[in-house]
Amino acid sequence: MRFWQKTLLVMLFLFILTLDISVIMIMNKSWKLNMEREMQRASSEQALIANNIYENLNSVKSRGISINDNVLFDVAHSYADYYRQQGITLQLWDQGHLVYSDDSAAQDITGIRNEKTEEQTVREAVISNELPSPYNHLLLTYRRDIGELYAKKAELNRYFVYINFIASPILVILLFVLIRQLTKPLRQLSNTTKNIAEGNYGERVTLKNNDEFGEVAQNFNRMAEAVQLHVTELSAMAEEKQRIVDNLAHELRTPLTSMQGFAQYLNSANIGEEERMTASGYIWSETLRLKNLVFKLLDLSILSHQSVERTRVSVSELFESVRQTEQKNLELAGIGLVLHSEIDSVWGDQDLLGSFLVNCIENAIHASSEGSEIRLSAYEQNSAVILEVRDFGRGMSPKHVKQVFEPFYRVDNARSREHGGAGLGLSLCRQIAEAHQAELSLESEEHIGTSVKMILQLHNNALLTL
Amino acid sequence: MAKILVVEDEKPISDLITMNLKLVGHQFFKAFSGAEMGPILDREKIDLILLDVMLPDLNGFEVMKRYRHLNVPVIFITAKDSLVDRITGFELGADDYIIKPFEILELLARINVVLRRNAREHDGFIAGDVDVHLAARKIYKSGQPVELTAREFELLEVLIQNRNIALSREKLLELAWGYEFEGDTRTVDVHISQLRKKLGWEEQIKTIYKLGYRLEAEG
Repeated sequence: MRFWQKTLLVMLFLFILTLDISVIMIMNKSWKLNMEREMQRASSEQALIANNIYENLNSVKSRGISINDNVLFDVAHSYADYYRQQGITLQLWDQGHLVYSDDSAAQDITGIRNEKTEEQTVREAVISNELPSPYNHLLLTYRRDIGELYAKKAELNRYFVYINFIASPILVILLFVLIRQLTKPLRQLSNTTKNIAEGNYGERVTLKNNDEFGEVAQNFNRMAEAVQLHVTELSAMAEEKQRIVDNLAHELRTPLTSMQGFAQYLNSANIGEEERMTASGYIWSETLRLKNLVFKLLDLSILSHQSVERTRVSVSELFESVRQTEQKNLELAGIGLVLHSEIDSVWGDQDLLGSFLVNCIENAIHASSEGSEIRLSAYEQNSAVILEVRDFGRGMSPKHVKQVFEPFYRVDNARSREHGGAGLGLSLCRQIAEAHQAELSLESEEHIGTSVKMILQLHNNALLTL
Repeated sequence: MAKILVVEDEKPISDLITMNLKLVGHQFFKAFSGAEMGPILDREKIDLILLDVMLPDLNGFEVMKRYRHLNVPVIFITAKDSLVDRITGFELGADDYIIKPFEILELLARINVVLRRNAREHDGFIAGDVDVHLAARKIYKSGQPVELTAREFELLEVLIQNRNIALSREKLLELAWGYEFEGDTRTVDVHISQLRKKLGWEEQIKTIYKLGYRLEAEG
């Protein structure tokens, strides 16, 4: 059973029960009061009649007439005639025997007479009392018809049932509308959760209520936000991982295919000298490529498993050794290297920092055209030491910048491979930066150039002054 | 025999494939990117495309979608050994799928299967005075029909399709007799000598020391 159905039934039941009980109690009380009033009226009227009869008898007696049954009958009869029109019947008893009666069938002395005969129901209020002395041997019984009262009660009861029949459906309808309105937020929540469960993580509850439902909705939205964030993060991570694996497979399988194929070709094909040279040349170059890749991967792996030993590294020495390493490449490409240093030394692993700069410079060389220059600088900014390699080459689009640190990612596939790159340079740079707990930032704009910065934190520098 | 377009951005692989295609007498065209394919497909009546999935500009699958209407058979060459990729490839209508690193003989065998299935094989082969019609399974020497047993013909077909490449006796057994055949490699020697005798190919079918046999022919 649905919640709204349960609520509706329970509320309906309780409401009708309370209403009916109260109404029945009120009706009962009112009935009791009516009866009391009726009995009081009967009692006072009986007293009045008894008094009248007494005075009448007194006057009869004063005229010297003795009081016998006939006199009593006449007196009683005259009163009875008069009161009969008011629905009152009288009986007069003299020491237990009936002297006069309107209705000989009635035997009650006092109380409510409730008798059912074949034709009709007789309901009477009955009061009996002795006459005042010296006629206290006479008993006057007073009866009044109260059938009308009962008829009214029956009518009220009918009306009550009738009202019940009309009120219940109206109540059901009102309750239905009210409860549906109140549980609307629940249905909304339920729909949204269902949608989210089906994978639409972007779905949110649009509830602006200020009540508990509003609170639930708010918390729910916060939860959905967190879930969505995690899911997107996870899928992005999974995607990146898949890309890396695919790329690694490609990088390994391509040279292997060539080497295997050309070796087989040399071994079994019917070929001339020229083809032999080409095939063996490829075996040679692909072996170098594979070697390069394997060493880079090893570097990466070692870096991620070993902590670096930091020493004081002289910036000018570092820059000079980098220049020497890249001298030949720079000359070949016709690119100048400008060194600029504002600080004496940094704290770090000289080989790794050198490797970082060399990688960045090689990337810069590949991005630059002949005649341009590359700037290598070290300076202090916002209490951090910054090593920067800036070129004025092709630059990259924002889309590339986002992925450029991913292993095997190449901005320009064909060109980069001609340079013999494995697509691991910047990944290595990132690892080196991480090993130094340094931040790495890359800014690039197409046709303007690229700048790679390693931001070594304050403590790195502070240690130097100790 | 057939015109084959090799779409591969890795120059070594591209050269490896085309050098081998040349050996067995196929005509080839090279494209290093998806963009370079268009002009070649417009100009030449290509029988088969060997398509690398990871191209610098376009993904091989996108290339496939773009040129599907041409109805040229395609064999995917890829380093990605994933079921999803393979299914994507086949769903797009690829005829076959070969994963790097591959063996050249396997690639050639698959090329032959696809060419034959699509009836694009130019099946004539002429060497000296011998004229072989592979599809009709007919051989003429100086205009006179030569009778070969079924097995001898299979062997001859394998030699022709992998001409200029030395094949080991084991490889010949596998290709001409099938994997399930459990025979001695001397069976191969016997059949080779039969072929040499019947076709007069003492010179053409060369015994390669320590390796096996090679059918040498121009074109």
